[in-house]
Amino acid sequence: MIETRDESGVLIIELARADKRNAMLPEMLELLHDAITSNTDALAIAILGQGKTFCAGFDLKACANDPSGDTMRALLTGLSKCVRTLRQHPAPVVLGVHGAAVAGGCALLGGADIVVADRHAKLGYPVVKIGVSPAVSSPFMLASMRPGIVRTRLLDTDLIDGEHAYKLGMVHELCDAPSDVHDRAVEIAESIASKPGSGCRETKRWLNEICAVSDEQANAGLNASLELTGNDEERERLAALWGES
Amino acid sequence: MTNTPATSSAVLLKIEERVATLTINRPDARNAMSVEILDAMHDAVDEIKDSASSVLVITGAGRAFCAGMDLKAVLIELSGDAGMGERLLTRLAELTLKIRGLPQVTVASVNGAAVGGGCGLTCVCDVTISHSDAKLGFPEVDLGICPAVIAPWVVKKLGPGVARRTMLMGGIMSGEQAYEIGLVDQLAPNRDALESLTNNVAQRLASGGPKALSATKRLLNELDGSFDETLVLKGAKLSASVLATPEAQAALAARMKR
Repeated sequence: MIETRDESGVLIIELARADKRNAMLPEMLELLHDAITSNTDALAIAILGQGKTFCAGFDLKACANDPSGDTMRALLTGLSKCVRTLRQHPAPVVLGVHGAAVAGGCALLGGADIVVADRHAKLGYPVVKIGVSPAVSSPFMLASMRPGIVRTRLLDTDLIDGEHAYKLGMVHELCDAPSDVHDRAVEIAESIASKPGSGCRETKRWLNEICAVSDEQANAGLNASLELTGNDEERERLAALWGES
Repeated sequence: MTNTPATSSAVLLKIEERVATLTINRPDARNAMSVEILDAMHDAVDEIKDSASSVLVITGAGRAFCAGMDLKAVLIELSGDAGMGERLLTRLAELTLKIRGLPQVTVASVNGAAVGGGCGLTCVCDVTISHSDAKLGFPEVDLGICPAVIAPWVVKKLGPGVARRTMLMGGIMSGEQAYEIGLVDQLAPNRDALESLTNNVAQRLASGGPKALSATKRLLNELDGSFDETLVLKGAKLSASVLATPEAQAALAARMKR
């Protein structure tokens, strides 16, 4: 579900569940977390998705099949842990979004320092549609985007394209074609890894201090999402989406 | 009425009616910030604070706006002074706080290269005007150093996400690209058109009520934490500590030889 490789100091992490549009499962997020934390010497990290899409968010079929809400809870907790870990990693993180980054997939932007996307990629958080609160992502989004934009993006279920996301500052660099995204993201990561001394690491550490997300804030966001999990609204909407109960 | 106060030749200060213009005047060194330049800017800003002007325009003499810190001064093997880096950076931090705290609306008129600390200076200002061919950016990480001293201002200007991308990737961008990401607020099509655009913007700003302008600026400063001196001074110390590392000194020495 996760593949990693090291290329001259750049840790490349690929979401590897292409047949499910890299939809997240709890064990996938565990593997992602392990990949990030076990490579603290990396000079830069590039996170990419295999197949046609960066990441479609949580595997909603798995959530619908677990009416107890445990799968959803594990996903929310795992996502929060991964984003925190990406932010805290000493090396800058480049995210390459091709095709789509939806819901939990888009939440990974909160852990990235640099986001590359293709012009037509679809990005957004349409999770209130299925009775889930994106509160888990809000502290990280507020630390990387303008507050007015975060508010709209988390509450509005519309997906926006890469070009629009670039204008809003969610995406920092655009590629014309989805097939260009991986190469460009890795190129940026390599360029960062090749810079001398500790300038990049110290700059990231300092930016994290200036735009800090405290554990209290991160936990408050996670808990707000967890509190809703397993309620009737979520169960009904998920079941309606998958035609199951 | 034009008033040309007595200032050192390191900066030129002109006060015309309600618009003051401070020109960094070290064109042979692309207006790089030396101790002399920073001291002269401090004095000039003190003088402007007590003037009747409502708007301060900061610009550079010659082809550059400001090339950042004086590399000769911070390269220990050249200056022989290991403490110079921290003194310069602290002086720069204090200057940025002083400019931000001015009651006047400040305008950076970026006539040419605005690099590193020079680009940071533009972020301290309320409005930045430039032209398509100007070069702006934060290439500190390319030299193994850290733009911590000006990072708080860059974050306030660009927002946290774009600031993160801009400072971690390093490099230089055109005036056009800077306009696209919000580093530049008004863009002249070319260098020749900058002066007229700057004058128009400065006059328009100066037409506002002085009390209304300064009260609005003060509130904005309070809301965005601009008066947090501790953060900026801590940034100066961090920049200085990274600057003093052997890796950074080696990278700077290599750059000087180019």
